[in-house]
Amino acid sequence: MSATAASGFDAEAFEALKQERSAEPQWLAERRDQAWKAFEEARWPTRSDEEWMRTDSRLFKLEKFSSAPASETAEPETPLLSSGVDLAGRVDSVNGRAITSELDPELAEKGVIFGGLGQAVIDHGDELRVAFDREVVSPTYDKFAMLNAAAWTGGVVLYVPRNVHIEKPLHAISRLTGEGASDISKTIVVLEEGAEATLLMETASDNETAAGLHNGSIEIVVGRGAKLRYVNLQNWNNRTWHFAHQKACVEREGQLQWTIGALGARLAKVNQQVALAGSDAEAQVNGVMFTQGKQHLCYNTHQHHEAPYCRSDLLYKAALQDTSRTVWRGMIKVDEAGQRTDAYQRNDNLMLAKTARADSIPGLEIEADDVRCTHGSTSGRVDDSQIFYAMARGFTRQEAVRMIVTGFFQQVFDRITIESVREALGEAIGKRVQDLPTQ
Amino acid sequence: MTDYESVGPTIEFADPSSTLVEVDDTPLVLIHAAGLFYAIDDVCTHDGGPLSDGELCTEGDKPAIACPRHGAKFGLADGAALTMPATKATRAHDVVVEAGQVYVRLNEGDK
Amino acid sequence: MATDTMPSAAELEGAGRTADDATNEAVLADINKYDFVTETKGVFKARKGLNAEVVRQISEMKGEPEWMLDFRLRSLEIFESKPMPEWGGDINIDFDDVYYYLKPTEGQSTKWEDVPEEIKDTYDKLGIVEAEQKRLVAGVKAQFESEVVYGSLEKDLADQGVIFTDTDTAIKEHPELLREYFGKIIPPEDNKFAALNSAVWSGGSFIYVPPGVKIDFPLQAYFRINAESMGQFERTLIIVDEGAEVHYVEGCTAPMYSTESLHSAVVEIVVKKGGRCRYTTIQNWANNIYNLVTKRAMAYKDALMEWIDGNLGSQLTMKYPAVYMMEPGARGEILSIAFASKGQHQDAGAKLVHCAPNTSGRIISKSISKNGGRSSYRGLCKVEDGAVESKSNVVCDALILDPDSRSDTYPYIEVEEQDVQIEHEASVSRIGEEQLFYLMSRGLSEAEASSMIVSGFIEPLVKELPMEYAVEMNRLIELQMEGSVG
Repeated sequence: MSATAASGFDAEAFEALKQERSAEPQWLAERRDQAWKAFEEARWPTRSDEEWMRTDSRLFKLEKFSSAPASETAEPETPLLSSGVDLAGRVDSVNGRAITSELDPELAEKGVIFGGLGQAVIDHGDELRVAFDREVVSPTYDKFAMLNAAAWTGGVVLYVPRNVHIEKPLHAISRLTGEGASDISKTIVVLEEGAEATLLMETASDNETAAGLHNGSIEIVVGRGAKLRYVNLQNWNNRTWHFAHQKACVEREGQLQWTIGALGARLAKVNQQVALAGSDAEAQVNGVMFTQGKQHLCYNTHQHHEAPYCRSDLLYKAALQDTSRTVWRGMIKVDEAGQRTDAYQRNDNLMLAKTARADSIPGLEIEADDVRCTHGSTSGRVDDSQIFYAMARGFTRQEAVRMIVTGFFQQVFDRITIESVREALGEAIGKRVQDLPTQ
Repeated sequence: MTDYESVGPTIEFADPSSTLVEVDDTPLVLIHAAGLFYAIDDVCTHDGGPLSDGELCTEGDKPAIACPRHGAKFGLADGAALTMPATKATRAHDVVVEAGQVYVRLNEGDK
Repeated sequence: MATDTMPSAAELEGAGRTADDATNEAVLADINKYDFVTETKGVFKARKGLNAEVVRQISEMKGEPEWMLDFRLRSLEIFESKPMPEWGGDINIDFDDVYYYLKPTEGQSTKWEDVPEEIKDTYDKLGIVEAEQKRLVAGVKAQFESEVVYGSLEKDLADQGVIFTDTDTAIKEHPELLREYFGKIIPPEDNKFAALNSAVWSGGSFIYVPPGVKIDFPLQAYFRINAESMGQFERTLIIVDEGAEVHYVEGCTAPMYSTESLHSAVVEIVVKKGGRCRYTTIQNWANNIYNLVTKRAMAYKDALMEWIDGNLGSQLTMKYPAVYMMEPGARGEILSIAFASKGQHQDAGAKLVHCAPNTSGRIISKSISKNGGRSSYRGLCKVEDGAVESKSNVVCDALILDPDSRSDTYPYIEVEEQDVQIEHEASVSRIGEEQLFYLMSRGLSEAEASSMIVSGFIEPLVKELPMEYAVEMNRLIELQMEGSVG
């Protein structure tokens, strides 16, 4: 590791980072250089860009964050998603670098790769190069993607060879520790033909008030007939900036269930995309957003039907407290080749405060004529009578609201087949329920 | 001066000018016009875009700022929406000048 | 006197004729009902291109007051400073290759006999004269190129204080009333094309309905673009006073030329307490007209504003009629229908803005894409802070008739309040095979069956139209449908 803790993301910091990553293969170093060059030349997105119109990132100052590793590591909190779960492997990361990386040796023997990406690219460079070259997430999509491609330090890799089924879940937690810390990470998941796996990922901040930065990319390939269950719980503190590009490609007859919990972050701007790239592929996307304070969460989802006979089903539910704001923009795009598509998207918002604001922007772009595409969206508020009823039964107002919020999310919870995940989400949400002012 | 936060010395804000400032994680536009200071949310209530690049103007006899995108005008003193396409006020905040410094207090009441 | 620019049936004759050709000819012949060019002398034609001089010339020709010239010049600056929209459709207009003002006659007539014969013929062919004779309408305005050439209003309505005139006349005869609202509902800064209209506007209707006056029959306006490379920029302002009611109907047609024409209107409406206004559009421009229109209404306490917007013609339409519900109890209802065929992009939609408590809105959008056409629904439903107990319901249905066509839906929803009910549903589908099979088993041809299904699909809109328009609409849909299957 580099001895000097560089601050900010200037050329000097980038050199220090390259020093730290000097054991990497040459092709990767070249990729970083290219991305860095593009990053230096690119402008930050502004609100005149359609995608950023509703998200004001002007108060984000990159120079306030450090790319350096954590100087000291506090005792980690117990992860939520893995509590009580028998795991096949786990990765713990702090400030974008894996500190623990474990995998059931039996799986390693079968050719499964799972661990921190930082070390994996050194150990399995040749195998992973294919995944990098595929560029599931474009490294030049915007300035954030360029920064990620240039300066990532860690993240998770999961590679499952053909027909290998991993029965037990794999777990990864990324933590941020210290003021101005950053998590610049890249996650790569590749399931070869007929493979199966469950991956649970979550984030946490060691300190409730420390400003943090996450700049992430997630690239997933679900091969022919493969099955992936993937859970992503974004649970940073409310002082963290969260910028992410996430995309999954599902090939012929592949199946993906992708659940996102978006609870933390001061400002989150996430592009989550699913491409159905082979016929008869299927994706189910679930989202739970729960906000408080001045949080601003913007999730752009994209269901891209590139092939015929595919199914996609998206359900995003948001509950908003205080002066928080959520923006959900969802697009279903059906290419001309996407005949017999069955696509659905739905967004429901529950307004828990007068001062909260929810923007819901579903969209359909359809170029095939034999499709079934529908979307729906509702916004409503807590039904007072429900609260009075619960309070009459002896619950506090806060407890009553918690029950109602849980009830609101139940539809998503019902779709999550992993019990620990349902419980973890419920617990994380419970912690963030505010006592409502009497209205 | 409780809850007031300094946004800088008066000499940094020419008259007339409008400047993007940050108070308690909130972007505001600080306006110095005809010897007076005003602070309003840097948000056009029509489409949520920033006002800080807008032109200072008057509407009727009120000092105002015009949104650079669709021309909605907001009163500097109270944030009132003065012309279409805005129909709702943007938030106005308290400003005081003391010892050559400009202080702003966030009005958390309404959005 | 009329020269068709499209091939005539005779010209289509030739080797390798098929049954399809025969059908197409029949369709063409009927479509050509609108595709004729009237040879007119014209009184004045501003030279092509847009600059301050042209704007001054238009204002001078019209003998306008200073404030209007200032408004025009300011709007021109705004137009020049605004970028072209990056969303919506492809706009390829050479603004220097457009005639911005074309005055067809010396003045406006109140009797058809006084309208120059060739222009009267135009409206005769379009059925306007007949509709008036049959007293299906209470008043008529006919705009040819830049100016209104004919106007009428039933005497008893005029006696009750109803004003139905062209907007240019209103500046002279009703300056205070006009100035109170003109450019206030849609300021020139609103968007590039509103600015363009504000700079070069000419014609359009000015309507004032006094308190309590209910007009039973529609007031009708008919817009005709005749010249090539023409820009028509009418400007309409409707003021419905307390408890008053009006139904305004507009139709638009133009012949087909080889170069594009531009239609960019601004329509501003105020509906005061308890008033009702219904504004119906049957847009059937030729397929090389850019139709870029801004329409917005403000509805006050317990008022009802309804937009019924049918878009069948044009190369590209970008139009999203809006209702701002300003006071409690205001209602906004928008019915939108778009039919996009070959070479057409209908980017149409609707906007509902809830600015006060207890307001309610409804949008029903139906779109059909065929033969490579693209129809997009783009809408907004916004609930502002304080607009508690508001209700909105948005339903968008799209029908795609073949694999070359495309349908998009962009329904923006913004909620800033907690005590509201907003619902949105959209679906895109093609004609169900079971439906087709059922109808064909009843002896209908595939084309007839498809046509019937499409008619059923748009029925909710058509039934809101006055009878003669419903007949016209159905006929236009049939025309669009014919020859589409097979």
